[in-house]
Amino acid sequence: MSIINYASREIQFKIVYYGPALCGKTTNLGYIHKRINPENRGDLVSLATAADRTLFFDFLPLNAVVIKGFVTKFQLYTVPGQVIYNATRQLVLRSVDGVIFVADSQWEKMEENVESFKNLEDNLAKQNISIDEIPYVLQYNKRDLENIASVNYLEYVLNNRKKRVQSFEVVSSTGQNVFASLNAVSQILLHKFSKQSDVPKTAPTPVAIPVEPPVLKV
Amino acid sequence: MNAIPCLTIQDVENLDGVLGEFLKKAEAELTVVIDRGGNVISQFGDMTVMDVTIIAALAAGSFAATKELARRIGEIEFNALYHQGNGNHIFMNSVDDDTIMITVFGRRTTVGLVRFYSASAAQNVGKLLKSLQTNGHGFCFDASDITAAPVFADR
Repeated sequence: MSIINYASREIQFKIVYYGPALCGKTTNLGYIHKRINPENRGDLVSLATAADRTLFFDFLPLNAVVIKGFVTKFQLYTVPGQVIYNATRQLVLRSVDGVIFVADSQWEKMEENVESFKNLEDNLAKQNISIDEIPYVLQYNKRDLENIASVNYLEYVLNNRKKRVQSFEVVSSTGQNVFASLNAVSQILLHKFSKQSDVPKTAPTPVAIPVEPPVLKV
Repeated sequence: MNAIPCLTIQDVENLDGVLGEFLKKAEAELTVVIDRGGNVISQFGDMTVMDVTIIAALAAGSFAATKELARRIGEIEFNALYHQGNGNHIFMNSVDDDTIMITVFGRRTTVGLVRFYSASAAQNVGKLLKSLQTNGHGFCFDASDITAAPVFADR
């Protein structure tokens, strides 16, 4: 749960990148760490195995001035995607404010995507949080690969709920839509705590935001 | 409309009072109160010692990870953890079900002294936080106070 410190005029939010193994969660954080202004970030902490698989979590603290008069601290975490580490995923989800669900667009990963999303719902439910209450967006990652499902299919499989959410076509290795999805979930969770209820709590259009077309070199 | 739990200036002063007294008695460098999700609630002491945000995230993880070890020997969790370095050390103790207190200390003091004073400090912090839960107020900001520009920019 976020907390405001009036003395230091700071607000903290926790955003968790969730998804199946090898879907690109750590790559997202790596890209953000590399590209964001160094003044606005801390160190990227990665608790990984020798083979660079996330063992516990990755962590990246970011600062921004987005609310008048307050420094807003966003703490980005990833969970380990491998099925056996469910206890760790539950720990990382503790006090979560927002989620970015990273799906792997490859056809052969579809079952893992669905299982991971169900696992997210179950783990949130253990904290008495409904997936419909928490701010989240979907990333359809690895759109640069060939053997990928269409966006319509991914929407049908992962975004076919009563409350549909914003989704993004992402290539986390090159950074396409990585910041767009982070900004989207940040705005949704900021507005969740605002006084007006007519501001968008969720995106109005549940349509995937396409990857920018490649620039042709002349 | 959802409100964010809020620490007022008075709340922070009260917490700082408890933490400051503890640091003085225990002769430690820095103490940080965090929730079990890794969020910093309050901190007092020499902040240049380390990045408090990262320490909070790792300490929450460390505390949670050893819970399973505790369970194996019939405990619900360990009430305190001690990480010994060559010159600097970390002592962590449980405040309540939601909160942990972290203390960083060096050669000026001993783990025994830190452990002794941290027990009463944690009790006092727990009482203050409990009173916040019952009397505390939430905070909501105005939608117009939120920037319309993207929160984070790709350089």
